[in-house]
Amino acid sequence: MVGVNVSVDHVNLADIPGSAAAEIAAGEGHDLIEYLSPPSHLAPAVMDLTDVNEEADRRFGTRVELTRRSTYNPTTNKYFGYCHSWVPDPANYRRSMWASVGYENGPATWADLLEGGTRIRNEQGIQMGLGMSNELDSNLAVRAVLWAFGGTEQDENENITINSPETIAALEYMKNLYDSCMTPEVFSWTAASNNQLLVAGQASYILNSISAYRTAAEIDYNIADDIGFGSPLLGPTGIGVVSEHVIPIYIIPNHARNPDAAKEFLLHLTANSDSLVFNSKLYNFPTYFDLVPELTRDGGWLDLDPFGGRPVDKLAVLRNAPEWSTVIGHPGPANPAIGEVFNTFILPQMFAAVARGEMTPDQAAADAEAKMIPIFERWKAEGLMGGGA
Amino acid sequence: MVTTSTPLTRSMQRRQSRMLKLLDSERFLASAMLLPAVAYIVLLVGIPLVTAILFSFSDATMASPEIDGLNFDTFITVLNDPVFRRSLGNSIGFTVISQASMVVLGNVLALALMKNFPGKWFVRLLILLPWATPIAIGAIGWLWIYDSVYSPIDWIFRQVGLLGIQGDHVGLISRAPNMYWLGQYGPFSVILVQIWRMLPMSTVILMAGLSSIPQDVKDAAEVDGVGFWRTYFQVTVPLIRPIILVAFLFGVIFTFTDMTIIHVLTRGGSDNSTQVLASYAYYKGIDGGNLSQGAAIAVFMLPVLLGLAMILLRIARRSEVR
Repeated sequence: MVGVNVSVDHVNLADIPGSAAAEIAAGEGHDLIEYLSPPSHLAPAVMDLTDVNEEADRRFGTRVELTRRSTYNPTTNKYFGYCHSWVPDPANYRRSMWASVGYENGPATWADLLEGGTRIRNEQGIQMGLGMSNELDSNLAVRAVLWAFGGTEQDENENITINSPETIAALEYMKNLYDSCMTPEVFSWTAASNNQLLVAGQASYILNSISAYRTAAEIDYNIADDIGFGSPLLGPTGIGVVSEHVIPIYIIPNHARNPDAAKEFLLHLTANSDSLVFNSKLYNFPTYFDLVPELTRDGGWLDLDPFGGRPVDKLAVLRNAPEWSTVIGHPGPANPAIGEVFNTFILPQMFAAVARGEMTPDQAAADAEAKMIPIFERWKAEGLMGGGA
Repeated sequence: MVTTSTPLTRSMQRRQSRMLKLLDSERFLASAMLLPAVAYIVLLVGIPLVTAILFSFSDATMASPEIDGLNFDTFITVLNDPVFRRSLGNSIGFTVISQASMVVLGNVLALALMKNFPGKWFVRLLILLPWATPIAIGAIGWLWIYDSVYSPIDWIFRQVGLLGIQGDHVGLISRAPNMYWLGQYGPFSVILVQIWRMLPMSTVILMAGLSSIPQDVKDAAEVDGVGFWRTYFQVTVPLIRPIILVAFLFGVIFTFTDMTIIHVLTRGGSDNSTQVLASYAYYKGIDGGNLSQGAAIAVFMLPVLLGLAMILLRIARRSEVR
């Protein structure tokens, strides 16, 4: 398709839900809207993008599975969105701090994190930062702990499973971790806290994208050099999995006046994934790895960071990111109920209540379940999710 | 020269005279001048308000904002939600505490600023600044002031020995080097910002009230040898009571309905200790997509504000009659 002029409006991330709601209610607005988390609750107001997703699969090869689970609703059998890329969420740690307590390559398990983190806190006075606040990074961090201990919010069939012995074990662990290695700052964690504290040498370990590292590299390469990356920590179950950090998902609202051009734009954008990944300084990963062979090939961008990483293979751990990354709602889909649970911060609040000593793990798990039940019932009644099977 | 009026000019003259008569009519002028305000209220307040009420009785979502039928199910769900109940309590608590503090501090400031002292205009300017600053920018400033690690308040506290310095010094308040304002003292921190934001307006309103007190009344009190406190409570306060109520009413409305400060500082807090109706309605209705529940939560602000406004206006009117 030629002769199409695309105009892009940059909208603050926090304002996108409100702007999208206004456009949907008015029945007028943009042809494409990009979210950074799965907007599954918007399914009735957006076009089914099965055709463009299937066309992309046909043109570009095998996709990373989590991008499908973030855009496909198995109950309606429709794609409510299209995902052109995603962002991994590796562990970030200060190498010198962890080396000084015997972990040259950083912690490998949650038990290591507790043991090494406690020593760093006691010997060097530096805390670690796993947020338990009402914001994105906290939502991701607490899910990583939950999953590592075998807990989940829902099962594959979209039934609530939060009130389980595994969840209680995860809560007990987090209470220990908080008491040993953290300060109350984790209860007021913001999206900038990770970057700010890691770069300032005020956090020994965070869960984040590579943005903190890129920020450090712009300020002082000595700091950037001291930042190491790791794959998700293994829990007592042997599970080590994290959610994607953010996942750009386009929707085409029903009111779009140029849906065909919008779909063509998405395919064109995806076809240029190599440019997208490179210009994001390897922050974004492609939906279709075949389109960016330079990223993962031996001696490619992850092995030889083109943006000056020292050592040059610092980011090589991200090569396996598709294997240890998943979708919010794991092991089920990113359905509207999970979206509401995510956006009303029920899980960070559950962990925070235990860490603060306001609730026992049993009480907190039961409380979270009680909050989730009406949410799940509501969205099941809307016909947008399954459950019960 | 003799001028003759044609039927056309006569008709124009008649129309002109009718127009002048209309412009002399108080009833017409009153209606015409009120019309823009009424249109504004109907379009930007009335219609959204009615829509929100209808949404709250429906099962509308962000993706399906149609109202198919009306029922009480949403209100039952909302009333059973512990976070909603906490938000309601916080909204009332934060408003009462911040406005009570604001009235006291506003009075103190207004009395001080009525006196003559060098640099008075500059002090007045400084006090008015928070009111002139967009609330979102002010809140971001406070987010930095309350930073967990780099808070300037904490720095001062460390310098004067109130907080600990890592490794070697135990502070008078805490061993820790930081207060963690938003992580540990969220409600206090939020109330402080609300007071900071509303204090200028309250002060200006109260200064207007104080300057309207006739000098002879003050002179009479002075001649009678009445002291400061007695003059203040038995002369000044009764005379400016309607003004105090106006300041209080404005403050209550602005504070009770505000979500910007909460959204920027805590997003409700990890224990919902700073969650208020306005913020929770937004997170449920817009971020969570649950439009009807968001509307129902927001609608709970209506009776509180309506009742409060009626009570305060009645008291103000009674005070005026006296």
